[in-house]
Amino acid sequence: MASNAVRRRLQTGISSILILAYFVFSLFPILWMIVVSLKRQSEIFTTRFIFSPTLDNYMTVLFGQNVAGGTGAIRTDFGGSFINSLIISVTAVLISLVVGVPAAYALARFDFKGKNDLAFTFLSLRFAPELLVIIPLFIIYHKLGLYNTYTGLIWVYQLICMPLIIWVVRGYFEDIPPELEYAAQVDGYSWWHVFFKVLLPLVSPGIAAASLLAFIFAWNNFVFAMLLGGAQTNTVTVSALSFLAAEQARYGEMAAASVIAALPEVLLALGIQKYLIRGLSFGAVKG
Amino acid sequence: MKGRRIIGLGLALIMLVLAGCSGSTVTKTDPAKDTKQAPAAAATGEFDWKRESGKSIHVLLNKHPYAEWVIKNLPQFESMTGIKVTYEVIPEQNYFDKVTVSLSSGSGTVDAFMTGAYQVWQYAPPGYMQPLEDFINNKSLTSPDWDFNDFYPNIMGALRWSLKAGEAVGTGHQWAIPMAFETNVLMYRKDLFEKHNIKVPKTMPELYETAKKLNNIDGSGIAGIAVRGSRNWGTIHPGYMTTFANYGAKDFNDKLEFTGGSDKGVAMTDLWAKMIKEAGPKAWSQYTWYEAGSDFGAGKAAMLLDADILGYFQDVEGGSPLAGQNKIAWAPPPVPEGHSGQVGANLWIWSLAMNSKSTKKDATWLFMQWATSKEIDLQGALQAGTVDPARKSVWENADFKKKLATKPGYYETFQTIINGVTIHFTPQPKFFETTTEWAATLQDIVGGKDTKQAMADLTKKINSMMDQAGLKK
Amino acid sequence: MSNHADPTIPLNMPATPRKVNRWRKWRPYLIIAPAFLLTIGIMYPFLTAVWYSFTNYSLTRPTFEFIAFKNYRIILQDPSFWNAVSVTVRYALGAVAVEMLLGLGIALLLNQEHWLAKALRYVLIFPLMISPVIGTLIWKLMMSPSVGILNYYLSKIGIKDFPWAASQKTAMMSVVLVDVWIFTPFVGLLLLAGLRSLPRAPYEAATLDGGSAWFTFKTLTLPMLMPYMMVCLMFRLIDSLKMFDIIYAMTGGGPGDSLMNFSLQAYFNGFLYLNLAYGLAYMIILWLIVYIISQVLSAYWGKAQKRAVGQ
Repeated sequence: MASNAVRRRLQTGISSILILAYFVFSLFPILWMIVVSLKRQSEIFTTRFIFSPTLDNYMTVLFGQNVAGGTGAIRTDFGGSFINSLIISVTAVLISLVVGVPAAYALARFDFKGKNDLAFTFLSLRFAPELLVIIPLFIIYHKLGLYNTYTGLIWVYQLICMPLIIWVVRGYFEDIPPELEYAAQVDGYSWWHVFFKVLLPLVSPGIAAASLLAFIFAWNNFVFAMLLGGAQTNTVTVSALSFLAAEQARYGEMAAASVIAALPEVLLALGIQKYLIRGLSFGAVKG
Repeated sequence: MKGRRIIGLGLALIMLVLAGCSGSTVTKTDPAKDTKQAPAAAATGEFDWKRESGKSIHVLLNKHPYAEWVIKNLPQFESMTGIKVTYEVIPEQNYFDKVTVSLSSGSGTVDAFMTGAYQVWQYAPPGYMQPLEDFINNKSLTSPDWDFNDFYPNIMGALRWSLKAGEAVGTGHQWAIPMAFETNVLMYRKDLFEKHNIKVPKTMPELYETAKKLNNIDGSGIAGIAVRGSRNWGTIHPGYMTTFANYGAKDFNDKLEFTGGSDKGVAMTDLWAKMIKEAGPKAWSQYTWYEAGSDFGAGKAAMLLDADILGYFQDVEGGSPLAGQNKIAWAPPPVPEGHSGQVGANLWIWSLAMNSKSTKKDATWLFMQWATSKEIDLQGALQAGTVDPARKSVWENADFKKKLATKPGYYETFQTIINGVTIHFTPQPKFFETTTEWAATLQDIVGGKDTKQAMADLTKKINSMMDQAGLKK
Repeated sequence: MSNHADPTIPLNMPATPRKVNRWRKWRPYLIIAPAFLLTIGIMYPFLTAVWYSFTNYSLTRPTFEFIAFKNYRIILQDPSFWNAVSVTVRYALGAVAVEMLLGLGIALLLNQEHWLAKALRYVLIFPLMISPVIGTLIWKLMMSPSVGILNYYLSKIGIKDFPWAASQKTAMMSVVLVDVWIFTPFVGLLLLAGLRSLPRAPYEAATLDGGSAWFTFKTLTLPMLMPYMMVCLMFRLIDSLKMFDIIYAMTGGGPGDSLMNFSLQAYFNGFLYLNLAYGLAYMIILWLIVYIISQVLSAYWGKAQKRAVGQ
């Protein structure tokens, strides 16, 4: 009917405007950050959108070219810290997934003594403010030889990734009616087959969302990385901030470093998009 | 359910006790009196750079040009002594967090670290720092070229302290060796002053008037003056404390009671706050060293009352839009009306200190004296702009003087104030707490609170802090 | 036959005769064990920290003694503490309220099928990818009253010299704004994923029955989405109560004491003043508050779960 079409057109129009308004808010600072990363130090505080762009900041970040006013002796090993971050964050998230998804399943499906206590314990790990545990943790890490090691940081990052994965994926598991599982099992499939071929695809949006978020929080973590890591395990966040040198605040380089640092996250986000979308087609199966 | 809860609680209690036991055995003794350790600096024989060859030391450095220059020259040190130096460079914002955590863990992984004078008041009392006189005086360990007396006595003295709260710096153990330092002076836009025929202000009231005049001059939106204002001890330490001291005000009396609220203190603070309100940067309360310096360098402020090297760094090539155009000049900090005699200034010294728990003290001392030697200091000042050098010989060097001639007023200002340059704060272990509260109070005053009332409230707060810490005499 | 005797057999399972073996009983614990072990290591430093808070451990003094609750007594009498409570609560409530509403809104908007919604789904996550410290520094640059781009545009519409984080009156909203900017995508993403996992059938039934979009939303979407919303709410509330990075990077706690929340007080006391025990006591209190709030929310979440499934 005509009025329905008009109403739908209007709805689309209004929602488009609202969406655009949000995204202007959301993306403008990022655009600004890219702009800053292309500005010379001398123009950062004096120009807006019209300036003479330069790739110097990126060059300095990636290749450690001579910084004005300094001797260039301290080369922030951004490339090295990038690799460190990759190793640490990816491993941490993978471990959290391997260990956490089954745990989420168990917490969703089974009813056992202390179920809610355990679930809550996992969440409560997130309560501990980093500042609370950092000094005892620093001392312990020194004693155990975990200071400035990949293992040490990956383990600490479990505090960040695991609760998120368990609680989010648990929600998705609980959404799946148990009848589905048992229907498949009655049909003769083994439990493993059911878990991997039926259940996991159903919760894949949850796993995708949770792992992306876990990766982002791990990647962007600052306090643990700075105090429990040393020169060999410098991560990308600590390294990006080190461009705020003592004599001048080199925002251009810091911005360039942040842009580069954000790339893996962007790639991961784009990569898992299809898993987020897949959930839709399976929605038809349920109920 | 209940059974598990009890077990869980019991486990927690056991862990708690275990954790507690390991903690309470933490005791530290005065390393200078610690005879169980191998006596420091007991070496004998001829001085030889290679005497510690083969050892390896670890150094914590702040990301700073002074550190950069040392790192650049490390190969020379390593080949001269055979000592391997590994280092960690940490951005200044988090530098002391790392140092604190490293030192307090009691491990000897760090041998030497950069520090400032105020940190000595925190790290020396618990015995984290190694007193250095025995090393300095031991001819077997200190090169004859090092020349202790080449350093300005008040700069070297600022790193000596007797560990008695309330006692001024200058006596007691030598806790660190200066790399280079900063005095606090007035920097101004020479070109603007010439264009508008403005005289360089000498007194605080003159500074206030000049700042007001320059504020938004020609509708340019320029601020009259830039000074620090963030909720941080670094807001009080440079220009404010310098002027406070020149006014003859004192922060604490003999009984360690806060006296910043005295008439002189209130008068100076009031004028200072007025200047900020009427001619200061609009986001003053967020201004740290970076914002103050970059505003001045970007032409957003006509004057800067802060570290002399801050203006210097704006003037080096590529440092700021004003760089190298002969637009920046230096002058002594403001004094009260009718002031006569030596103009003083507060200072900040980046220096090298030794971890008392280091197991390679002799090797570390070789590193420290090399990093502060005449050659390194001179070449750093000439090639890398590591000003202000702490050695008289560098200031008397003809090439250095020539280099400074491009910075109008820099050399002259330094010579005028150097004898009055020292730590004007009263040393006490609660320095950071009291000075941060002072900064917060200043923010309140600029935000509108009455100066006398605010300083009175601050006095009460600080006195109760000192009371609680058992410091009030 | 009832299955409740065997806790490892999930509820709702059709009754079938099955051999109950030993292994079954321990299965859930075994599955969870790795996760538990990995994260239990944090208990030791945590308990150490609790222990320290009962002493006068200061990094400026070589020895320390047990002083029981003295630290806590001093804190509770200190006006700075009550200021911290006010700041922490206002920040958390402000940030979370806006993020939940905005996040839900954008999730609903992006759940539609027109091209704009589909395209922009990919960029929703972007602000979250910037480390909070760096994001704050960029906002700080934009918010600078003298050289910032925001005030430039504001002055064009007549608002001159907006102080943003430089004034006690507007500092809170400035930092909350940054928090909202970074973390609304967190809520949005989770809720969007949740929306896309909702079963289709109830909606098809509702369309057949007729009824406005609002009605569908209120009776179908909202209750089914509630468990996801509770998860978002819990995580965001916990994180914003503990927030340190954004506030410290923006103003370091100022102007005055207007942004001195728990984490900042703990940082200043523990790291700057080296009064470790006192700083830890602050953190323990914060932890307690977070714990209690989460217990409450968790119970609520359980109820929301049941309601959603019962649909």
